[in-house]
Amino acid sequence: MIVPFEHILILATALFVLGAACAAMRRSVIMILVGVEIMITGAAVAFVGASLRWQTLDGQAAVILVMGLAAAEVAFGLALLVHARRRGGSLEADGYTGLKG
Amino acid sequence: MKTLLVTMLLFPAAGALFQALPGRMLSRRLAGWAACAAVGGALAAAVAALSLTLGQGQTWAVNLCGWFAGEGFQAQASLLYDPLAGFMAVTVTFVSLLIHLYSTAFMREEQGHARYFCYLNLFVFFMLVITLADDLLFLFLGWEGVGFCSYALIGFWHQDTANVTAGGKAFILTRLGDLGLVAALALMAGMWGGASVSRVASEAASLAPQTSMILGFLILLAAVGKSAQLPLTVWLPDAMAGPTPVSALIHAATMVTAGAYLLMRLTPLLAHAPVVLEATALLGAFTALYGALAALAQRDIKRILAYSTISQVGYMFLAAGCGDVPGTMFHLMAHAFFKSLLFMAAGCLIRAVGGEHDIFRMGARLRREMPGVFVLFLCGAVSLAAMPLTAGYFSKGRVLADALSLPGWPYVLSAVLGLEAAFVTALYAFRLVYTALAGSPDDPAPHTPDTGMRRMELPLWPLAALALVFGFVNPPEVFGLKAWLDAALAGGLGHPAHAAPPIRVEMFVAALDAALALAGLWLARRMYGPGRKPASDAAWMSATGFGLDALYATLVAGPYRKLADFTAVRVDGAVLDRGVGGGAKAVLALSRAVSSLATGRVSTTLRALLASMAVALVYLALRLA
Repeated sequence: MIVPFEHILILATALFVLGAACAAMRRSVIMILVGVEIMITGAAVAFVGASLRWQTLDGQAAVILVMGLAAAEVAFGLALLVHARRRGGSLEADGYTGLKG
Repeated sequence: MKTLLVTMLLFPAAGALFQALPGRMLSRRLAGWAACAAVGGALAAAVAALSLTLGQGQTWAVNLCGWFAGEGFQAQASLLYDPLAGFMAVTVTFVSLLIHLYSTAFMREEQGHARYFCYLNLFVFFMLVITLADDLLFLFLGWEGVGFCSYALIGFWHQDTANVTAGGKAFILTRLGDLGLVAALALMAGMWGGASVSRVASEAASLAPQTSMILGFLILLAAVGKSAQLPLTVWLPDAMAGPTPVSALIHAATMVTAGAYLLMRLTPLLAHAPVVLEATALLGAFTALYGALAALAQRDIKRILAYSTISQVGYMFLAAGCGDVPGTMFHLMAHAFFKSLLFMAAGCLIRAVGGEHDIFRMGARLRREMPGVFVLFLCGAVSLAAMPLTAGYFSKGRVLADALSLPGWPYVLSAVLGLEAAFVTALYAFRLVYTALAGSPDDPAPHTPDTGMRRMELPLWPLAALALVFGFVNPPEVFGLKAWLDAALAGGLGHPAHAAPPIRVEMFVAALDAALALAGLWLARRMYGPGRKPASDAAWMSATGFGLDALYATLVAGPYRKLADFTAVRVDGAVLDRGVGGGAKAVLALSRAVSSLATGRVSTTLRALLASMAVALVYLALRLA
């Protein structure tokens, strides 16, 4: 392996933190979804790196699962998006306050 | 014998069960007869059992079944039948049967006849349990049972709160005495791993003097509570709130005589504690005088009879204190006959004047209109007053002769008190007769003829006959007749032989007793006789039972009520309620604080999620490093 494992982990962490920051700071449902996607991608990079590092296929299998998960999440997110648009025209996530204590 | 004893117990129990379950569907008349039949069956069994015992002077111990057993302790439903129990059982069932018969007429228009007869039968059952039980715990079952039944029957007319209060008073005050029995039971169970009458009789001799003294005093306390002796008398006059046949039952055959019976049954123990015997005699004599004086000032006919019961049971205690079992039983039986007679005749009188209890509103016209009841009442009254040759004369004479023939100041004092009480007894008995049945009241109560009067009178005639002639079963030696009851009871359970009083003493007492009764008659005639206008407002100390009730109200009930108020306001309100309320408020505030965190905004949730994840990761990193 040419690229050192540490570099891959740094990249994965950077992606994860960036995605988390995006999800936490933006208000638009679309941008939150984008952030979550980036976090998932970070995790997937870590999986692939680990798979290469220890020469097993488990990590790559996990990545395929993660891709499926991401696709399902996007489908769900888009449904939410349509619902939000129909409901009040706003895409702001903070409009959903049904769980307020 | 076992069959007979079980039959005796089962008949009233089955009767009570029958009244409780299908009895309410029957007509009043049928239910009443069923109750009478139950007691009649018990009486038949009791008579049969007694006739088997009489010739043989033997005791039978019958173990029905084990009741429960624990670590080194066991209780059994066991019976012990000896002549004493036999006579008691016959007396109880006989008097109860007549009271049941009387009740069918007296209560024929009351609501709740099934309830009434159920408790009445149950009362007889529990009394028979006391009478026959060998195991003292089994006896205690009957002991509490009669307490419960008396509570239920005194408060029979429960729509009126005063009746219920009277029932509660009887229940609570007799419970005080029962503590003594419980303590005695616990002591015996601790020593012998079980307590029974036969055990007490066989082990009494080997007890340490202090132990037998403590046990004796505890049993005396139990008897005092049940028999309404000083200082626990106050419940009995109030127990008059119940129907008149119930009063007759409580006073004559069951309940109050249970205390005297317990003393007789445990005489082998008491005989080893002379102090207890002396205390019993003194207490009985004091109570006899107290009851007689209190009866002298009452206006309510039933209260007069109630105080009279207290006084007469005092004589039984005096006899028991002299260690004279046959004498105690003799007076118990004589009293059962004349007192139930007096109560039921008084019930007829009360019925005839529309429920008026005041003897100063009855008067001579009742005598003219109901000559039968008058004769009955008179029979009871002369026996109560101990006019010569009546049952009361012989039995009371025996008690007094016992006390006089024993050495020691307690017996001398109690004999003197007993003689004074005998005089007062004659005085109040004839005051009652003269005022209620010969007076000419200013303000007579209206006469209300009762169609059932004949049916009410009928069961009383045998009692009247017994009240007059029963004394001849046990006349003193002076009369040269055979003391049959003494001989019959002699074969009983390890009772220490009691020497009959010397003839000299008996003659003295017989003469003095007759003189006192006649003097009482003379004085009553002077004070309350025909043509006299008695000072009807007897506002003496004795009218209120020497203020014993008021004393308890201020000394016991008052502080108790204050304590209750204090705990209700200070303890319950200020401490407990506030504490619980404060706790609830704190929880509420906490939940408010927590709920403010849940804004429902997605961004908050996400941030919280990420932050907690960061914390968890940092922690993991530190652990691994």
